Amino acid sequence: MTIYSFWIFDRHCNCIYDREWTLLANPKSGTTNSKQNDDVSKLLYGIIFSLRSVTGKLSTDDTGRTNEISSISTGKFRIHTYCTATGLWFVLLTDFKPFNYNKVLQHIYSDIFVKYITNNYLSPYDFSENENEKRGQGTRKITNRHFMNNLESFLEPMISS
Amino acid sequence: MAIESILIINKSGGLIYQRNFSESFASKLNSNDFLIIASTIHSVFAITSQITPKALQITQNNVDYVIPYIPMVGMENSNPQQNRNSNVPVKLGSYKGPDFFKEPFISWNKSGLRQLSTDQFTMYIYQTMTGLKFVALSSNVLSNNAGTTMTGSIDRTKAVNIASQVADNFLRKIYCLYGDYVMKDPFYSMEMPIKSELFDKAVKRMVNNLL
Repeated sequence: MTIYSFWIFDRHCNCIYDREWTLLANPKSGTTNSKQNDDVSKLLYGIIFSLRSVTGKLSTDDTGRTNEISSISTGKFRIHTYCTATGLWFVLLTDFKPFNYNKVLQHIYSDIFVKYITNNYLSPYDFSENENEKRGQGTRKITNRHFMNNLESFLEPMISS
Repeated sequence: MAIESILIINKSGGLIYQRNFSESFASKLNSNDFLIIASTIHSVFAITSQITPKALQITQNNVDYVIPYIPMVGMENSNPQQNRNSNVPVKLGSYKGPDFFKEPFISWNKSGLRQLSTDQFTMYIYQTMTGLKFVALSSNVLSNNAGTTMTGSIDRTKAVNIASQVADNFLRKIYCLYGDYVMKDPFYSMEMPIKSELFDKAVKRMVNNLL
């Protein structure tokens, strides 16, 4: 299994965290919260948003349970998503080898994001502070040191193994 | 793998053929909804090729695009219980032999959307060289969530890959039918909705064979 990049989107359609590994042999390589990835993050958001609306329409279950996307495969890579009820999307780009990435994303949410961002008075709980940042225009990112260090050390064994 | 629905999308993103093979979508969605779904798939397909990760751009990726031939997917003789009149050779339009093709083939869809797995269904997309897209909605739910044990994950690797290979084989056969019954129809105008009874029947028979 190999992971290429990891993204978090908030409910205001903003990318609040991105991490891309460029050299898979070196887990320290790559970019974090890079301005260059802005366009990619918008395209990625658009793909998931469009496909979520398609799967929502094609839902065959009448019990009202939403039909969540578990993975999207393209010719070159696979996208795994984990969406929370509060509108946060955790997105992981990986290769084709199957592994329980949903559990990985769930762990990132419940044991890393909740622990170091939500339960942190000094970290904003909503990354859009004024109205004109709430329509996908925001540029604020997660810069919390503990969050970033813990995420790195958790994902490191998966980057190229 | 039970096919719920088949869509064909032309190269400009318009829906030219859509059939449901079970009642699950028929009651909820009208033809307009399917038109919207088809054009959404078409646009997402175009975007996915734009976001290739940098690590893949740097190293030459060694993704295998050769789809192995899986024998008799969706053919009459594939199911031994249904093999009532095995002495009568099945006619495959202008194709000879018991199956449309017998060799592995190369997927033309190298960077676009190929598979969408959700909690309730799996969608497979096959793209031809001319830009036509064949979409199959299968009610099978693939869990690529393999167990953490190494042996379990190897088995699931095969299961996930085989499902998408079967789908590619099946959709290529639908493409063969399209070549036979739609392209050879003098009353069909290109890029317009397909209204061919022979094509309809052939597709329906193939989907029923797959059950």
